[in-house]
Amino acid sequence: MMRLTVNLTLRLLACMMLCATVLIAQARDQREATVGMRAYVEQVVMAGPELVPAPSSMGSQVVVRVVKTWPHGEHLRYDLEWVGFEEGSYNLTNYLVHKDGTPMGALPPINVKVRSLLPAEAFEPSDIDPAAAARLDGYSTLQVVVGVLWGIGLLAILFVGRKWAVKPPPPSPPPTLADRLRPIVEEVATGNADNAKKAELERLLVAFWRARLDLGSARAVDAIMAIRKHDEAGALLRQVEAWLHAPEPPKLMDVSALLRPYRSVTAESFAPIDANNPGSHGGGA
Amino acid sequence: MTASATAPRFVETLKFLDQIKTRVGKVVVGQEVVVERVLISLLTSGHLLLQGVPGLAKTLLVAAVSKTVDLSYSRIQFTIDLLPSDIVGSEILDQKTHEFRIHKGPIFTNLLLADEINRAAPKVQSALLEAMQERRVTIGNDNFALPAPFLVIATQNPVEQAGTFELPEAQLDRFMLLHRLEYLKPEEELEVLRRNAKLGVRRDGKGAVARTEFDVLGEQEKGSADQLVRAMEDVQEVHVSEAFLEHCVEIVNRTRNHPSLELGCSPRAGISLVKASRARALIHGRDYVVPEDLFALAEDVILHRIRLSYEAVAEGQTSAQVLQEILNEVAK
Repeated sequence: MMRLTVNLTLRLLACMMLCATVLIAQARDQREATVGMRAYVEQVVMAGPELVPAPSSMGSQVVVRVVKTWPHGEHLRYDLEWVGFEEGSYNLTNYLVHKDGTPMGALPPINVKVRSLLPAEAFEPSDIDPAAAARLDGYSTLQVVVGVLWGIGLLAILFVGRKWAVKPPPPSPPPTLADRLRPIVEEVATGNADNAKKAELERLLVAFWRARLDLGSARAVDAIMAIRKHDEAGALLRQVEAWLHAPEPPKLMDVSALLRPYRSVTAESFAPIDANNPGSHGGGA
Repeated sequence: MTASATAPRFVETLKFLDQIKTRVGKVVVGQEVVVERVLISLLTSGHLLLQGVPGLAKTLLVAAVSKTVDLSYSRIQFTIDLLPSDIVGSEILDQKTHEFRIHKGPIFTNLLLADEINRAAPKVQSALLEAMQERRVTIGNDNFALPAPFLVIATQNPVEQAGTFELPEAQLDRFMLLHRLEYLKPEEELEVLRRNAKLGVRRDGKGAVARTEFDVLGEQEKGSADQLVRAMEDVQEVHVSEAFLEHCVEIVNRTRNHPSLELGCSPRAGISLVKASRARALIHGRDYVVPEDLFALAEDVILHRIRLSYEAVAEGQTSAQVLQEILNEVAK
């Protein structure tokens, strides 16, 4: 029983191998293909010298390639690959030549057919519209023109519509002490000055005498003390202080008369007093 | 000085102030301006910070003023390990009664000398400055008013800054005046040496020690507290004109708008200017203030209240230069 089973298995395997060998050994014979698609014709036996593909060109309607060659008795057996580029029927032997260059004799035809998938009316390409020829000269001139236009555009961006800075007029010189003193003296003398103006008058009178006594570089407190010690300036300052700061200003004081010398001061009035010429002072007015 | 400056109502006060100056002058040579600043502080209850190198008789001066008027006087040497309770006082447990009782600190006095105030830690400075501002201190749960008058005269050394805590601007602002002491004139220094040579020795039991100027203080006559109160009341009688206030506001505003200053004067500076000017006017025998008072006190009132900008510091400017520039511009 065991022996019978083994024999049956071996036979079954042999059958399977035989079937596989037949399948593997089955040659392709594709005689029809669409444009541009590869196809194979195998196991073709040809008499005569060895065949090779004939030289092809851009206009070749079919291109053949010899994939493999075997001896087959006195002949040779070939596997061929072919591609058709135009619709129609063709004989592949027309696209083969003898390798040794001898003339081709009468060989059995290998007929193939090339089909087109496109409809017949779509076969021809559309006509090309005529177009003007490209400009081939004047490039340098064009460069210059474009460059000039670009420069004009740049200048326009930079300057067109720009608000040009107006040069400010030179600053007017600050008013001199005399210019500041005169109107305040006038206001105080006419009784129209408020407390702020009166205080400014006192500061300007100090400034006036600082300039007259050449005390510009002295500390403010030292300058005031020096002014108080001066005969004319000290007398004036004390009277102004009594008028401005005392709880009860002197009743007999005539402020208008006190300030009269300062109503017409000029810039020259602020010149320092010449120690050698005491007559040069006197209120500067 | 005008007729109104010699008003009879101030005669007694002027006599009292002259006596103080004379008594102080017996111990302290020169320093008339500093004596004047101490009197201004005394008359206005505005605290004074004296800044000067060691040996300029700062402590002696304050002690002399306290001895010439009948005022209680305490001195605290500020150090890094001083505690707020060392100044204001603390609650201590009475072992007999087993109850807490208040121990008042040296701040309970009329005239407090805070020596080298910048050597104490900030919390101690704050405790003192709070008392200066409010004139009250809190110990435990109880609040105590400080005696009247209450005046703090603090000193600080501009050199030897290692280990010191610089007073911030907000605390400096509590001092009405910050006066910078300068060295004596040569003739004054000669007089110091002459007086010192005549001090001699003081016998103490079987031994003796060399007498110092502080020993001379004990022999001074004293003015009364009533006279001081009368003088303080007289300061309030000194007239301040609207024009003078305009000058003050002009100067204060210029410090706020000057390009070299990052921090200008506070309103308290303007108030201090007016208060100090009134006291100075009285000391000089006037019953009204004049611009000279303002300009004479501006440096002491304003200089510690302004701060230079970074750019001004980089340019090498000083606060004193900027202030002089402002004062010169006001009177120019």
